[in-house]
Amino acid sequence: MSIAPLPAGESQADLGLGPGVRPLSSGPGDKSAPNWSPDESRISFVLDGYVVDKPLNTQGLRRWTTKDFGAEEVEYNSKGGLTILGKDNPSNSKAPQPAGDSGATSSIYQTLPRKESFKLNKITGDALAIVPGQDGKGLVVALKTNTFQSGIAIIGSDGRVEKVYKNLIGGRVMGLALSPKGDQLVLSVQGAATFALYALDLSDGSSRVLARLKPDLEIFGAPQWTSHGIYYVAGDKNIEKTDAAPYKLYKIEPDSDAPEPAPGVGEDFIASSLRASPDGERLAVIGRRNPNSLTNLYIINVATNDLQAATSNDDMEIKTGPEDLAWSRSGEEVAIIASGAVADLKVHAAPASSLLADFYNLYEVPVNEQ
Amino acid sequence: MRGLVFWISGAAFAFVVTAGAFLFLANLSSNTSEKSLSPATPSAASGPSLSLSLQKDQLSSLKQLKDQKLTVTAKNSGDEELSGISLTLKVSSEDTSIPEVRYYRATVDQIKAGKSSDTPLDIDLSPLDQNDEITSTRTIIEVRATTPSGVSAVKTAILPTQTSQPSG
Repeated sequence: MSIAPLPAGESQADLGLGPGVRPLSSGPGDKSAPNWSPDESRISFVLDGYVVDKPLNTQGLRRWTTKDFGAEEVEYNSKGGLTILGKDNPSNSKAPQPAGDSGATSSIYQTLPRKESFKLNKITGDALAIVPGQDGKGLVVALKTNTFQSGIAIIGSDGRVEKVYKNLIGGRVMGLALSPKGDQLVLSVQGAATFALYALDLSDGSSRVLARLKPDLEIFGAPQWTSHGIYYVAGDKNIEKTDAAPYKLYKIEPDSDAPEPAPGVGEDFIASSLRASPDGERLAVIGRRNPNSLTNLYIINVATNDLQAATSNDDMEIKTGPEDLAWSRSGEEVAIIASGAVADLKVHAAPASSLLADFYNLYEVPVNEQ
Repeated sequence: MRGLVFWISGAAFAFVVTAGAFLFLANLSSNTSEKSLSPATPSAASGPSLSLSLQKDQLSSLKQLKDQKLTVTAKNSGDEELSGISLTLKVSSEDTSIPEVRYYRATVDQIKAGKSSDTPLDIDLSPLDQNDEITSTRTIIEVRATTPSGVSAVKTAILPTQTSQPSG
């Protein structure tokens, strides 16, 4: 069986995102949550709510779940399979929920060998957020332990729960990240009235509040712990979250309780999703230089605060969801998701499976020079 | 003294002749290179060739309803007659989690070289997701034409979403 190559990217003059950017997927479907395999030969993502992965440079999509699965995130595990965060369907979803508790939780699954078609091994329920363990081994999971509190579970590479920290955090964990050394976590937590950033020491389970936001502010996505401080995106929770909403990038030192606007980006910079590089030295941010500019991928050198645009957007719509960008393990590329204008009738002399800009597709952006 | 003037004049003359020869060769080389970069003009009708077209006016007027009319035009752009052309029209959603796909098939007996053939099709464009009264995602119409000898063509139309309930 031959597998068709992806539409050529490097030879094309412009894919709408600047030089050097090449497609990693093609065809219809809403893609999200990209993730590179450890050897960078494959990439996984969520496609219309189900999980697929594929070789980096060719088609040949491999589906891992049923199409009605409701996947949110997917990560390669050290055994070559996939770990999946999938939505639960809470029976009490229509019941009133206390402030700071949306009621919705997710479960974590591991894929089984391919002969077990679409069968998954459920590791745990009541999951709120996940992050890969140190060096991509195992998993750190935020769990809902009761209506007003969250805990943390450490899951080994074999899928077994190794350690649980219960009821440590007051509120609902919305996102988490490991420190560069892997010995601490930073958590964004939605409390009854406010959002807060917590630092949690994994050696003894002690936690402390790093910063508490004003009541009208919320943290978007997971904070990121770099080699030069913790970064997060925050904005007015009463404003609809679009890529033009005035969400700002902030920085806080781990031993400080005073966040400040992230240096180097400029006061007009609007931030959306962000991810620290594998070595913690750089930060990938999807954002806008100012409210009137187009969305681009930017790379911040956290040691020098130097901000460089990695894409040169020519009217593409770059996705700004908190999971919609991913570093390759080498730190030389970032995967983003973008589409062209979709409102008008389009006719092409090509099969739908080979079309790029008509649908949300994954693009590889080289960032080794930034 | 006269000998020295003779040698200097001779060296200068040799330099001018050599430089001129190199300039001549350089110009000759660049002219040849430019000439070789000119693309060859493809023959207008070399071997079998098939193309498909869909009328944009007709595509624009399609509704998310059953019994929609769409004409597929197949053109034989080559210099040989084509016969037994199979047309397959596929209606699918851009939401790949929706499993339903509708297929329509027709056969064009023959198209002479340089001629076209219109095939009118009645297609069902009602929402592919049975739970929807009106689809919130775009509909994809993909048409393929193939001949027994392996000549093929494809055309894909992506219909915009309709924001209000269609009438009629």
